Amino acid sequence: MSRVDVLSPLGATTGEVKPSARRGGSLAGLRVGILDNSKPNAEVLLGRVAELLVERAGAGPVTVWRKPGASRPATVIAEVVAGSDVVLTGSAD
Amino acid sequence: MLGTDAFASLAEAAAAALGVPHLRLVAVPHPLGGIDPKLARAKADDAVDRVIAALTRDPAPPALTSATPTTIARAPADIDLFQDFALTEGWSDGMPVLPPTAERVERILGALAARRAEVIATLAPRRGVATLETIAANLALAGALPEHLPVVVAAIRALADPRFNLNAIQTTTHPCTPLLIVNGPIVRYLAINAGANALGQGHRANAVIGRAVRLTLQNIGGARPGREDRATLGHPGKYSYCLAENEAESPWAPLHVERGFGATESCVTVCGSEAPHNVNDHGSTSAEALLFAIAGTAATTGSNDVYLGGEPLVVLGPEHARTFADSGWSKADVKRAIWERARVRLDRFSPENRQRFGVIDPERFRGRLLAEDVALCASPDDLMVIVAGGPGKHSAIIPTFGATRSVTVTIGD
Repeated sequence: MSRVDVLSPLGATTGEVKPSARRGGSLAGLRVGILDNSKPNAEVLLGRVAELLVERAGAGPVTVWRKPGASRPATVIAEVVAGSDVVLTGSAD
Repeated sequence: MLGTDAFASLAEAAAAALGVPHLRLVAVPHPLGGIDPKLARAKADDAVDRVIAALTRDPAPPALTSATPTTIARAPADIDLFQDFALTEGWSDGMPVLPPTAERVERILGALAARRAEVIATLAPRRGVATLETIAANLALAGALPEHLPVVVAAIRALADPRFNLNAIQTTTHPCTPLLIVNGPIVRYLAINAGANALGQGHRANAVIGRAVRLTLQNIGGARPGREDRATLGHPGKYSYCLAENEAESPWAPLHVERGFGATESCVTVCGSEAPHNVNDHGSTSAEALLFAIAGTAATTGSNDVYLGGEPLVVLGPEHARTFADSGWSKADVKRAIWERARVRLDRFSPENRQRFGVIDPERFRGRLLAEDVALCASPDDLMVIVAGGPGKHSAIIPTFGATRSVTVTIGD
């Protein structure tokens, strides 16, 4: 089969990879932040997970931030980061 | 990060694009929305052990793959076999594509070849780097010509403007896709259709400019159907969605002049648009009469504009535009009248949606009586009105994604 060289239409990405935050092996006493994207039942799922993190893994306290709709970026990221040690958030639906 | 399994590919792509490919996604079975909260709680109960593991154990380091895909690929020279190749690589939209050989890409770049590495924009969700050369490769796929490159480049610039909200438009379940509206002398120069069947097939410039933009967004932007592009149904404009305004037959100033550009400045406007909703009115002979059908079609409950705002677009066929103008109405009069008339009563929405909208826009939806109504957008100025099409008594309403603003830019060299 004869072949031809073609230029990929995908191009490069910005390509950065950030280091992951180190885990300490325990959630005891860690502040849990929830960033609720307002999708239906997001608050139920994230809220119940947070409740169980407190009950079973000794995490707490829990603070909830909410963005008013899923369609735009959150404006409260800096606040969430400052107020939490671990963050639960949802993606899409 | 938590999400449903059906949307895992989008979550993973977003994490990779943001530089955190190792971010743990804990997936629960789809759907989460629209189910009894007790079931949602049960999904949380099932997921919590995985969440605890993700938060207490360091993730495996990300695989050391290059962020830069192959620049040059060996492809079948046979044009039919090339289609299979392009589909497998994820480059195609399903319609036939042409091989982006070095020779074809060079021809498309033309005098701009010296600037091939110039970065026009970084495109969401993948944060793909759109250089002149890579954009030209997408024109090559689409069968576009060198003279189309400036329009595509201008459109890409506009789409990357934060006001457009490209990340949301590319990844949403909503069917929206960019609609390109071209104004100014370039319309005639490139023979971009503004007349009969302007939103349909048959004119090369409309077809290939629209297609090149869509392929650029899919390929460089990294929004592949069913993966990062989550459109539930989509619409046919996702192949190509480009028209020119029919300035010659408009009784009013064209869109770009309305927005402060000179009449002889060629411009492109991008809107995050649904498919057109037709307005058929063969009977009305005055502005007031024509308003019934136009406002009636616009006042729909299924649109995002009604609760997210945005800029619904009214495309008036030249005959309908003439009817408004013959009644002495300016474009501003048309916008105000449609905005005042195209209201949706709150009792036309389900109780669950009224509640949901009340969270997103409490001022307009919370604590209101069911007999009250809401406008389609924040103000008459948020309605867009253009004139396009050929003979016949049809116009169109084109709703938007809502959480997006149209962007108009000049078309450079």
